[in-house]
Amino acid sequence: MEPLLHIDNITKSFGSETVLHNVSFMLQEHEVLSVLGKSGSGKTTLLKILAGLEKEDDGTISLSRKRMNDTPPNKRNIVYLYQEPLLFPHLNVSENIAFGLKIRKQSPDVIKTKVEHMLAEIGLEEHAEKMPHQLSGGQRQRVSFARALIIEPKVLLLDEPFGALDAETRVQMQELFKKLSKKMKLTSIFITHDLKEALTMGDHIGKIELGHFKRYESKQDFYDDVDSGAQQEAAFWKQFN
Amino acid sequence: MKFKSKHISITIFILFAAVPVLLGFGYALLYSFGLTGILSEGFTTEYWEKTLLATEFWKSLGFSLFIAAVVMTTSLFFSLWIVISWTKNLYKGLLSYVTYLPLAFPAIVMAFFSFQLLSKSGFISRVIFNLGWIDDLSQFPDWTNDAYGVAIIFSLCLLITPFFIILYSNLYQNERIPELKALAQTLGAKKNQITTRIIVPILLKKSAFTIMLFLIFVMGTYEIPLLLGRQDPSMLSVFIIQKLQKFNLADIPQAYAVSVIYILLIATLIAVVYKTRPAFFNPEKN
Repeated sequence: MEPLLHIDNITKSFGSETVLHNVSFMLQEHEVLSVLGKSGSGKTTLLKILAGLEKEDDGTISLSRKRMNDTPPNKRNIVYLYQEPLLFPHLNVSENIAFGLKIRKQSPDVIKTKVEHMLAEIGLEEHAEKMPHQLSGGQRQRVSFARALIIEPKVLLLDEPFGALDAETRVQMQELFKKLSKKMKLTSIFITHDLKEALTMGDHIGKIELGHFKRYESKQDFYDDVDSGAQQEAAFWKQFN
Repeated sequence: MKFKSKHISITIFILFAAVPVLLGFGYALLYSFGLTGILSEGFTTEYWEKTLLATEFWKSLGFSLFIAAVVMTTSLFFSLWIVISWTKNLYKGLLSYVTYLPLAFPAIVMAFFSFQLLSKSGFISRVIFNLGWIDDLSQFPDWTNDAYGVAIIFSLCLLITPFFIILYSNLYQNERIPELKALAQTLGAKKNQITTRIIVPILLKKSAFTIMLFLIFVMGTYEIPLLLGRQDPSMLSVFIIQKLQKFNLADIPQAYAVSVIYILLIATLIAVVYKTRPAFFNPEKN
Protein backbone atom coordinates (compact mmCIF):
# COMPACT_ATOMS: atom_id res chain seq x y z
CA MET A 1 0.00 0.00 0.00
CA GLU A 2 1.27 3.46 -0.87
CA PRO A 3 2.24 5.39 2.32
CA LEU A 4 0.41 8.61 3.08
CA LEU A 5 3.46 10.38 4.46
CA HIS A 6 6.93 9.70 3.20
CA ILE A 7 9.90 11.26 5.01
CA ASP A 8 13.18 10.82 3.22
CA ASN A 9 16.58 11.78 4.65
CA ILE A 10 15.50 14.85 6.58
CA THR A 11 18.45 16.69 8.05
CA LYS A 12 18.38 19.79 10.20
CA SER A 13 21.09 21.75 12.00
CA PHE A 14 20.97 24.79 14.24
CA GLY A 15 24.35 26.45 13.91
CA SER A 16 26.99 23.77 14.35
CA GLU A 17 24.62 21.38 16.10
CA THR A 18 22.91 18.78 13.92
CA VAL A 19 19.50 18.05 15.42
CA LEU A 20 18.21 15.58 12.84
CA HIS A 21 20.42 13.14 10.91
CA ASN A 22 18.91 11.71 7.71
CA VAL A 23 15.57 10.89 9.26
CA SER A 24 13.53 8.58 7.04
CA PHE A 25 10.27 6.76 7.64
CA MET A 26 6.85 6.21 6.20
CA LEU A 27 3.40 6.56 7.66
CA GLN A 28 0.44 4.62 6.32
CA GLU A 29 -3.03 6.12 6.15
CA HIS A 30 -5.00 5.74 9.43
CA GLU A 31 -1.83 4.75 11.26
CA VAL A 32 -0.80 6.15 14.64
CA LEU A 33 2.94 6.19 15.07
CA SER A 34 4.21 6.75 18.60
CA VAL A 35 7.63 8.32 18.73
CA LEU A 36 9.67 8.08 21.89
CA GLY A 37 12.45 10.48 22.61
CA LYS A 38 14.16 12.30 25.42
CA SER A 39 14.26 16.07 25.73
CA GLY A 40 16.56 17.53 23.11
CA SER A 41 16.45 14.44 20.93
CA GLY A 42 15.03 16.43 18.00
CA LYS A 43 11.45 15.17 18.13
CA THR A 44 9.80 18.60 18.31
CA THR A 45 12.00 19.85 15.46
CA LEU A 46 10.94 16.86 13.37
CA LEU A 47 7.25 17.59 13.95
CA LYS A 48 7.71 21.30 13.20
CA ILE A 49 9.46 20.43 9.94
CA LEU A 50 6.59 18.13 8.97
CA ALA A 51 4.09 20.89 9.79
CA GLY A 52 6.10 23.43 7.79
CA LEU A 53 6.92 25.56 10.82
CA GLU A 54 10.65 24.86 10.47
CA LYS A 55 12.59 24.49 7.25
CA GLU A 56 14.64 21.33 6.79
CA ASP A 57 18.21 21.66 5.51
CA ASP A 58 17.96 18.59 3.34
CA GLY A 59 15.63 15.73 2.48
CA THR A 60 12.10 15.43 1.15
CA ILE A 61 8.64 15.27 2.66
CA SER A 62 5.87 13.78 0.54
CA LEU A 63 2.21 13.67 1.42
CA SER A 64 0.02 11.49 -0.82
CA ARG A 65 3.00 11.29 -3.18
CA LYS A 66 3.14 15.05 -3.49
CA ARG A 67 6.33 16.84 -2.46
CA MET A 68 5.52 19.18 0.42
CA ASN A 69 8.88 20.81 1.17
CA ASP A 70 7.87 24.17 -0.25
CA THR A 71 4.20 24.05 0.67
CA PRO A 72 3.36 26.66 3.35
CA PRO A 73 1.98 25.33 6.67
CA ASN A 74 -1.54 26.59 6.00
CA LYS A 75 -1.78 24.53 2.82
CA ARG A 76 -0.34 21.24 4.11
CA ASN A 77 -3.40 20.11 6.05
CA ILE A 78 -1.04 18.82 8.73
CA VAL A 79 -1.99 20.10 12.17
CA TYR A 80 0.64 20.47 14.87
CA LEU A 81 -0.55 20.37 18.47
CA TYR A 82 1.69 21.85 21.13
CA GLN A 83 2.63 20.24 24.42
CA GLU A 84 0.26 22.60 26.18
CA PRO A 85 -3.31 22.95 24.97
CA LEU A 86 -2.94 26.38 23.41
CA LEU A 87 -6.40 27.83 22.91
CA PHE A 88 -7.11 31.22 21.39
CA PRO A 89 -7.69 33.23 24.58
CA HIS A 90 -10.17 35.68 23.01
CA LEU A 91 -12.49 32.96 21.71
CA ASN A 92 -14.85 30.75 23.69
CA VAL A 93 -14.92 26.95 23.41
CA SER A 94 -17.29 26.87 20.40
CA GLU A 95 -15.43 29.64 18.61
CA ASN A 96 -12.10 27.91 19.21
CA ILE A 97 -13.41 24.66 17.73
CA ALA A 98 -15.00 26.49 14.81
CA PHE A 99 -11.82 28.44 13.96
CA GLY A 100 -10.58 26.18 11.16
CA LEU A 101 -14.01 26.05 9.54
CA LYS A 102 -14.56 29.81 9.74
CA ILE A 103 -11.29 30.61 8.01
CA ARG A 104 -12.31 28.14 5.30
CA LYS A 105 -15.48 30.21 4.98
CA GLN A 106 -17.85 27.33 5.55
CA SER A 107 -21.51 28.26 5.97
CA PRO A 108 -22.72 29.14 9.50
CA ASP A 109 -25.17 26.21 9.46
CA VAL A 110 -22.47 23.69 8.58
CA ILE A 111 -20.15 25.18 11.21
CA LYS A 112 -22.86 25.02 13.87
CA THR A 113 -23.70 21.38 13.10
CA LYS A 114 -20.07 20.28 13.02
CA VAL A 115 -19.17 22.15 16.22
CA GLU A 116 -22.14 20.68 18.09
CA HIS A 117 -21.16 17.22 16.90
CA MET A 118 -17.56 17.74 17.96
CA LEU A 119 -18.60 19.12 21.36
CA ALA A 120 -20.63 15.95 21.91
CA GLU A 121 -17.64 13.81 20.90
CA ILE A 122 -15.41 15.44 23.48
CA GLY A 123 -18.14 15.65 26.11
CA LEU A 124 -18.08 19.39 26.52
CA GLU A 125 -21.57 20.38 25.33
CA GLU A 126 -22.20 22.16 28.63
CA HIS A 127 -19.07 24.27 28.29
CA ALA A 128 -19.60 25.62 24.76
CA GLU A 129 -19.79 29.25 25.85
CA LYS A 130 -16.97 29.16 28.38
CA MET A 131 -13.74 31.02 27.84
CA PRO A 132 -10.41 29.12 27.92
CA HIS A 133 -9.46 30.45 31.37
CA GLN A 134 -12.62 28.84 32.78
CA LEU A 135 -11.56 25.33 31.73
CA SER A 136 -9.38 22.71 33.40
CA GLY A 137 -6.20 21.43 31.74
CA GLY A 138 -7.94 18.29 30.50
CA GLN A 139 -10.89 20.23 29.12
CA ARG A 140 -8.57 22.62 27.31
CA GLN A 141 -6.78 19.65 25.77
CA ARG A 142 -10.12 18.25 24.58
CA VAL A 143 -10.99 21.55 22.93
CA SER A 144 -7.56 21.65 21.35
CA PHE A 145 -8.16 18.19 19.87
CA ALA A 146 -11.62 19.07 18.66
CA ARG A 147 -10.34 22.24 16.98
CA ALA A 148 -7.75 20.18 15.10
CA LEU A 149 -10.02 17.25 14.23
CA ILE A 150 -12.92 19.32 12.94
CA ILE A 151 -10.93 20.30 9.85
CA GLU A 152 -10.17 16.64 9.14
CA PRO A 153 -6.39 16.98 8.80
CA LYS A 154 -4.50 14.50 6.70
CA VAL A 155 -1.95 14.10 9.47
CA LEU A 156 -2.16 15.12 13.10
CA LEU A 157 1.10 15.81 14.91
CA LEU A 158 0.91 15.59 18.68
CA ASP A 159 3.88 16.82 20.66
CA GLU A 160 3.63 15.23 24.13
CA PRO A 161 0.00 16.33 24.37
CA PHE A 162 -0.66 14.79 27.77
CA GLY A 163 2.65 15.66 29.38
CA ALA A 164 1.21 18.38 31.60
CA LEU A 165 -1.84 16.43 32.79
CA ASP A 166 -2.31 14.53 36.06
CA ALA A 167 -2.32 10.72 35.90
CA GLU A 168 -6.09 10.30 35.97
CA THR A 169 -6.84 12.96 33.36
CA ARG A 170 -4.03 11.59 31.26
CA VAL A 171 -5.66 8.14 31.12
CA GLN A 172 -9.03 9.73 30.23
CA MET A 173 -7.40 11.71 27.44
CA GLN A 174 -5.59 8.64 26.12
CA GLU A 175 -8.91 6.80 25.94
CA LEU A 176 -10.60 9.73 24.24
CA PHE A 177 -7.81 10.05 21.71
CA LYS A 178 -7.91 6.34 20.94
CA LYS A 179 -11.69 6.45 20.51
CA LEU A 180 -11.59 9.49 18.23
CA SER A 181 -8.59 8.19 16.35
CA LYS A 182 -10.40 4.97 15.52
CA LYS A 183 -13.70 6.64 14.75
CA MET A 184 -12.24 9.36 12.55
CA LYS A 185 -9.57 7.12 11.06
CA LEU A 186 -6.81 9.51 12.00
CA THR A 187 -3.28 9.40 10.71
CA SER A 188 -1.03 10.77 13.39
CA ILE A 189 2.40 10.96 14.92
CA PHE A 190 2.23 10.89 18.68
CA ILE A 191 5.33 12.06 20.50
CA THR A 192 5.84 11.02 24.08
CA HIS A 193 8.64 10.17 26.47
CA ASP A 194 6.43 7.71 28.33
CA LEU A 195 6.98 4.07 27.31
CA LYS A 196 3.55 2.89 28.41
CA GLU A 197 1.84 5.74 26.63
CA ALA A 198 3.79 5.03 23.46
CA LEU A 199 2.69 1.38 23.53
CA THR A 200 -0.92 2.26 24.37
CA MET A 201 -1.39 4.97 21.79
CA GLY A 202 0.58 3.84 18.77
CA ASP A 203 -0.07 1.18 16.15
CA HIS A 204 3.65 1.32 15.58
CA ILE A 205 6.54 2.71 17.55
CA GLY A 206 9.52 4.76 16.57
CA LYS A 207 12.34 6.16 18.59
CA ILE A 208 14.41 9.26 18.12
CA GLU A 209 17.75 9.60 19.83
CA LEU A 210 20.28 12.36 19.25
CA GLY A 211 18.60 13.13 15.93
CA HIS A 212 18.63 9.54 14.66
CA PHE A 213 15.27 7.95 13.98
CA LYS A 214 14.47 4.26 14.24
CA ARG A 215 11.13 2.72 13.42
CA TYR A 216 10.31 -0.68 14.93
CA GLU A 217 8.61 -3.30 12.80
CA SER A 218 6.34 -4.36 15.65
CA LYS A 219 5.75 -3.75 19.32
CA GLN A 220 7.51 -7.07 20.04
CA ASP A 221 10.47 -5.81 18.06
CA PHE A 222 10.42 -2.68 20.24
CA TYR A 223 10.27 -4.78 23.41
CA ASP A 224 13.10 -7.01 22.24
CA ASP A 225 15.38 -4.04 21.63
CA VAL A 226 17.46 -3.72 24.80
CA ASP A 227 18.06 -0.03 24.11
CA SER A 228 14.33 0.78 23.92
CA GLY A 229 14.06 0.68 27.75
CA ALA A 230 10.93 -1.50 27.59
CA GLN A 231 12.59 -4.53 29.19
CA GLN A 232 13.97 -2.45 32.06
CA GLU A 233 10.50 -1.00 32.63
CA ALA A 234 8.94 -4.47 32.63
CA ALA A 235 11.60 -5.77 35.01
CA PHE A 236 10.91 -2.90 37.39
CA TRP A 237 7.21 -3.74 37.66
CA LYS A 238 7.85 -7.51 37.83
CA GLN A 239 9.68 -7.14 41.14
CA PHE A 240 6.34 -6.28 42.79
CA ASN A 241 4.68 -9.51 41.56
CA MET B 1 -1.56 41.21 62.32
CA LYS B 2 -2.25 40.72 58.63
CA PHE B 3 -5.78 42.04 59.17
CA LYS B 4 -4.43 45.12 60.91
CA SER B 5 -1.85 45.94 58.23
CA LYS B 6 -4.54 45.56 55.53
CA HIS B 7 -6.69 48.12 57.34
CA ILE B 8 -3.75 50.52 57.68
CA SER B 9 -3.09 50.23 53.91
CA ILE B 10 -6.74 50.95 53.11
CA THR B 11 -6.79 53.92 55.49
CA ILE B 12 -3.62 55.39 53.97
CA PHE B 13 -5.07 54.91 50.46
CA ILE B 14 -8.32 56.64 51.43
CA LEU B 15 -6.50 59.51 53.14
CA PHE B 16 -4.00 60.23 50.37
CA ALA B 17 -5.86 59.16 47.23
CA ALA B 18 -9.61 59.20 47.75
CA VAL B 19 -10.17 62.05 50.24
CA PRO B 20 -8.37 64.83 48.29
CA VAL B 21 -10.21 63.86 45.11
CA LEU B 22 -13.58 63.74 46.85
CA LEU B 23 -12.93 67.07 48.59
CA GLY B 24 -11.99 68.64 45.26
CA PHE B 25 -15.08 67.21 43.61
CA GLY B 26 -17.26 68.40 46.50
CA TYR B 27 -15.80 71.91 46.31
CA ALA B 28 -16.36 72.02 42.52
CA LEU B 29 -19.94 70.84 43.00
CA LEU B 30 -20.67 73.48 45.68
CA TYR B 31 -19.04 76.22 43.57
CA SER B 32 -21.04 75.23 40.48
CA PHE B 33 -24.29 75.56 42.43
CA GLY B 34 -23.29 78.94 43.85
CA LEU B 35 -22.87 77.65 47.40
CA THR B 36 -19.32 78.86 47.75
CA GLY B 37 -16.95 81.29 46.04
CA ILE B 38 -16.40 85.01 45.87
CA LEU B 39 -19.73 85.82 44.23
CA SER B 40 -21.72 83.21 46.09
CA GLU B 41 -25.36 84.24 46.67
CA GLY B 42 -26.80 80.89 47.68
CA PHE B 43 -28.04 77.87 45.78
CA THR B 44 -28.68 78.40 42.08
CA THR B 45 -28.81 76.25 38.97
CA GLU B 46 -28.01 79.27 36.80
CA TYR B 47 -24.42 78.23 36.06
CA TRP B 48 -25.42 74.68 35.14
CA GLU B 49 -28.14 76.00 32.86
CA LYS B 50 -25.72 78.44 31.23
CA THR B 51 -23.20 75.66 30.72
CA LEU B 52 -25.60 73.07 29.37
CA LEU B 53 -27.36 75.53 27.07
CA ALA B 54 -24.14 77.02 25.71
CA THR B 55 -23.00 75.59 22.37
CA GLU B 56 -19.35 76.25 23.24
CA PHE B 57 -19.47 73.59 25.99
CA TRP B 58 -20.92 70.94 23.66
CA LYS B 59 -18.49 71.94 20.91
CA SER B 60 -15.63 71.59 23.37
CA LEU B 61 -16.86 68.20 24.56
CA GLY B 62 -17.34 67.02 20.97
CA PHE B 63 -13.90 68.31 19.98
CA SER B 64 -12.28 66.52 22.93
CA LEU B 65 -14.05 63.27 22.00
CA PHE B 66 -13.03 63.73 18.36
CA ILE B 67 -9.37 64.31 19.25
CA ALA B 68 -9.34 61.38 21.69
CA ALA B 69 -10.94 59.04 19.14
CA VAL B 70 -8.61 60.05 16.29
CA VAL B 71 -5.49 59.97 18.49
CA MET B 72 -6.30 56.56 19.92
CA THR B 73 -7.27 55.05 16.57
CA THR B 74 -4.12 56.38 14.89
CA SER B 75 -1.81 55.40 17.76
CA LEU B 76 -3.29 51.92 18.04
CA PHE B 77 -3.08 51.40 14.28
CA PHE B 78 0.59 52.39 14.09
CA SER B 79 1.65 50.60 17.27
CA LEU B 80 -0.04 47.36 16.19
CA TRP B 81 1.38 47.69 12.71
CA ILE B 82 4.91 48.28 14.01
CA VAL B 83 4.74 45.44 16.55
CA ILE B 84 3.30 42.95 14.05
CA SER B 85 5.66 43.92 11.22
CA TRP B 86 8.87 44.44 13.15
CA THR B 87 8.50 42.02 16.04
CA LYS B 88 12.02 40.67 15.98
CA ASN B 89 13.68 44.06 15.39
CA LEU B 90 11.96 45.58 18.43
CA TYR B 91 14.05 43.45 20.76
CA LYS B 92 17.46 44.26 19.34
CA GLY B 93 19.52 46.99 17.74
CA LEU B 94 18.76 50.67 17.31
CA LEU B 95 14.99 50.27 17.07
CA SER B 96 14.76 48.85 20.60
CA TYR B 97 16.23 52.15 21.93
CA VAL B 98 14.54 54.54 19.50
CA THR B 99 11.12 53.25 20.58
CA TYR B 100 11.70 54.51 24.12
CA LEU B 101 12.98 57.94 23.04
CA PRO B 102 9.65 59.80 22.61
CA LEU B 103 8.63 58.67 26.10
CA ALA B 104 11.35 60.92 27.50
CA PHE B 105 9.71 64.02 25.96
CA PRO B 106 7.50 66.04 28.31
CA ALA B 107 4.20 66.96 26.67
CA ILE B 108 5.10 70.65 26.44
CA VAL B 109 8.41 69.86 24.70
CA MET B 110 6.59 67.64 22.24
CA ALA B 111 4.13 70.45 21.61
CA PHE B 112 6.99 72.91 20.82
CA PHE B 113 8.62 70.31 18.64
CA SER B 114 5.36 69.82 16.70
CA PHE B 115 4.89 73.58 16.39
CA GLN B 116 8.35 74.04 14.91
CA LEU B 117 7.70 71.18 12.54
CA LEU B 118 4.14 71.87 11.38
CA SER B 119 3.52 75.63 11.61
CA LYS B 120 3.45 77.91 8.55
CA SER B 121 6.98 79.07 9.35
CA GLY B 122 8.05 75.60 10.50
CA PHE B 123 10.50 73.06 9.17
CA ILE B 124 8.21 71.18 6.76
CA SER B 125 6.82 74.42 5.37
CA ARG B 126 10.36 75.71 4.67
CA VAL B 127 11.44 72.47 3.04
CA ILE B 128 8.41 72.55 0.75
CA PHE B 129 9.02 76.25 0.00
CA ASN B 130 12.65 75.53 -0.91
CA LEU B 131 11.55 72.67 -3.12
CA GLY B 132 9.45 75.22 -4.98
CA TRP B 133 6.15 73.51 -4.29
CA ILE B 134 4.71 76.69 -2.73
CA ASP B 135 5.46 80.31 -3.62
CA ASP B 136 5.01 81.68 -0.13
CA LEU B 137 5.14 80.24 3.38
CA SER B 138 1.60 81.50 3.97
CA GLN B 139 0.38 79.01 1.36
CA PHE B 140 1.33 76.14 3.65
CA PRO B 141 -1.85 74.63 5.15
CA ASP B 142 -2.96 75.45 8.69
CA TRP B 143 -1.77 72.50 10.72
CA THR B 144 -1.24 74.36 13.99
CA ASN B 145 -4.02 76.17 15.86
CA ASP B 146 -6.41 74.82 13.23
CA ALA B 147 -10.04 73.76 13.44
CA TYR B 148 -9.30 70.03 13.19
CA GLY B 149 -6.49 69.88 15.75
CA VAL B 150 -3.95 68.41 13.29
CA ALA B 151 -0.92 69.40 15.38
CA ILE B 152 -2.64 68.29 18.61
CA ILE B 153 -3.33 64.88 17.09
CA PHE B 154 0.21 64.66 15.72
CA SER B 155 1.82 65.49 19.09
CA LEU B 156 -0.38 63.19 21.12
CA CYS B 157 0.20 60.34 18.67
CA LEU B 158 3.96 60.86 19.00
CA LEU B 159 3.63 60.68 22.78
CA ILE B 160 1.25 57.73 22.98
CA THR B 161 2.32 55.43 20.12
CA PRO B 162 5.67 54.43 21.73
CA PHE B 163 3.87 53.49 24.91
CA PHE B 164 1.56 51.13 23.02
CA ILE B 165 4.47 49.74 20.99
CA ILE B 166 6.17 48.75 24.24
CA LEU B 167 2.92 47.44 25.73
CA TYR B 168 2.10 45.37 22.64
CA SER B 169 5.60 44.02 22.14
CA ASN B 170 5.48 42.73 25.75
CA LEU B 171 1.97 41.35 25.34
CA TYR B 172 3.09 39.71 22.10
CA GLN B 173 5.44 37.48 24.06
CA ASN B 174 3.36 37.11 27.23
CA GLU B 175 0.29 36.00 25.30
CA ARG B 176 2.40 33.51 23.33
CA ILE B 177 1.41 35.04 20.00
CA PRO B 178 4.25 33.33 18.07
CA GLU B 179 2.93 29.90 19.13
CA LEU B 180 -0.68 30.86 18.45
CA LYS B 181 0.38 32.14 15.03
CA ALA B 182 2.07 28.83 14.22
CA LEU B 183 -0.94 26.91 15.45
CA ALA B 184 -3.35 29.01 13.38
CA GLN B 185 -1.12 28.48 10.35
CA THR B 186 -1.29 24.71 10.66
CA LEU B 187 -5.05 25.01 11.07
CA GLY B 188 -5.08 26.63 7.65
CA ALA B 189 -5.08 30.36 8.40
CA LYS B 190 -3.50 32.75 5.91
CA LYS B 191 -1.24 35.61 7.01
CA ASN B 192 -3.98 38.25 6.93
CA GLN B 193 -6.41 35.93 8.75
CA ILE B 194 -3.84 35.39 11.50
CA THR B 195 -3.43 39.14 11.85
CA THR B 196 -7.12 40.03 11.83
CA ARG B 197 -8.54 37.02 13.68
CA ILE B 198 -5.79 36.21 16.16
CA ILE B 199 -3.10 38.82 16.78
CA VAL B 200 -5.08 42.07 16.67
CA PRO B 201 -8.12 40.83 18.66
CA ILE B 202 -5.92 39.30 21.37
CA LEU B 203 -3.77 42.42 21.74
CA LEU B 204 -6.75 44.78 21.71
CA LYS B 205 -8.69 42.69 24.19
CA LYS B 206 -5.76 42.43 26.57
CA SER B 207 -5.13 46.17 26.39
CA ALA B 208 -8.79 47.26 26.48
CA PHE B 209 -8.54 48.70 29.99
CA THR B 210 -5.35 50.61 29.16
CA ILE B 211 -6.98 51.96 26.00
CA MET B 212 -9.89 53.26 28.06
CA LEU B 213 -7.49 54.96 30.51
CA PHE B 214 -5.61 56.59 27.64
CA LEU B 215 -8.87 57.79 26.09
CA ILE B 216 -9.64 59.52 29.39
CA PHE B 217 -6.09 60.86 29.57
CA VAL B 218 -6.23 62.29 26.03
CA MET B 219 -9.61 63.90 26.63
CA GLY B 220 -8.21 65.68 29.67
CA THR B 221 -4.83 66.65 28.25
CA TYR B 222 -3.92 70.33 28.66
CA GLU B 223 -0.48 71.59 27.57
CA ILE B 224 -0.57 70.33 24.00
CA PRO B 225 -4.03 71.71 23.06
CA LEU B 226 -3.18 74.95 24.89
CA LEU B 227 -0.16 75.53 22.67
CA LEU B 228 -1.30 73.97 19.42
CA GLY B 229 -5.07 74.34 19.55
CA ARG B 230 -7.59 77.10 18.92
CA GLN B 231 -9.71 78.99 21.40
CA ASP B 232 -12.76 77.79 19.53
CA PRO B 233 -13.20 74.91 19.46
CA SER B 234 -10.94 74.13 22.38
CA MET B 235 -10.48 70.92 24.27
CA LEU B 236 -12.31 70.62 27.59
CA SER B 237 -9.27 71.19 29.79
CA VAL B 238 -8.41 74.40 27.93
CA PHE B 239 -12.06 75.46 27.97
CA ILE B 240 -12.20 74.99 31.76
CA ILE B 241 -9.00 76.97 32.37
CA GLN B 242 -10.24 79.75 30.08
CA LYS B 243 -13.37 80.04 32.22
CA LEU B 244 -11.41 79.83 35.49
CA GLN B 245 -8.83 82.44 34.63
CA LYS B 246 -11.03 84.99 32.90
CA PHE B 247 -11.48 88.42 34.45
CA ASN B 248 -15.19 87.71 34.66
CA LEU B 249 -15.58 86.10 38.09
CA ALA B 250 -19.06 84.93 37.16
CA ASP B 251 -17.49 82.46 34.74
CA ILE B 252 -15.70 80.56 37.53
CA PRO B 253 -18.78 78.59 38.68
CA GLN B 254 -19.33 77.58 35.04
CA ALA B 255 -15.78 76.23 34.90
CA TYR B 256 -16.56 74.10 37.95
CA ALA B 257 -19.84 72.97 36.40
CA VAL B 258 -17.96 71.80 33.28
CA SER B 259 -15.43 69.99 35.49
CA VAL B 260 -18.21 68.22 37.38
CA ILE B 261 -19.98 67.22 34.16
CA TYR B 262 -16.72 65.86 32.74
CA ILE B 263 -16.03 63.84 35.90
CA LEU B 264 -19.60 62.52 35.94
CA LEU B 265 -19.33 61.51 32.27
CA ILE B 266 -16.11 59.59 32.88
CA ALA B 267 -17.43 58.03 36.10
CA THR B 268 -20.62 56.95 34.30
CA LEU B 269 -18.60 55.43 31.48
CA ILE B 270 -16.47 53.45 33.95
CA ALA B 271 -19.56 52.40 35.96
CA VAL B 272 -21.37 51.18 32.83
CA VAL B 273 -18.35 49.18 31.70
CA TYR B 274 -17.88 47.77 35.21
CA LYS B 275 -21.54 46.78 35.44
CA THR B 276 -21.82 45.22 31.99
CA ARG B 277 -18.35 43.72 31.65
CA PRO B 278 -16.67 43.20 35.03
CA ALA B 279 -13.94 41.08 33.40
CA PHE B 280 -12.81 44.27 31.64
CA PHE B 281 -11.21 45.36 34.91
CA ASN B 282 -9.46 42.04 35.36
CA PRO B 283 -6.72 41.63 32.73
CA GLU B 284 -6.33 37.94 33.66
CA LYS B 285 -9.88 37.20 32.65
CA ASN B 286 -10.14 39.72 29.86
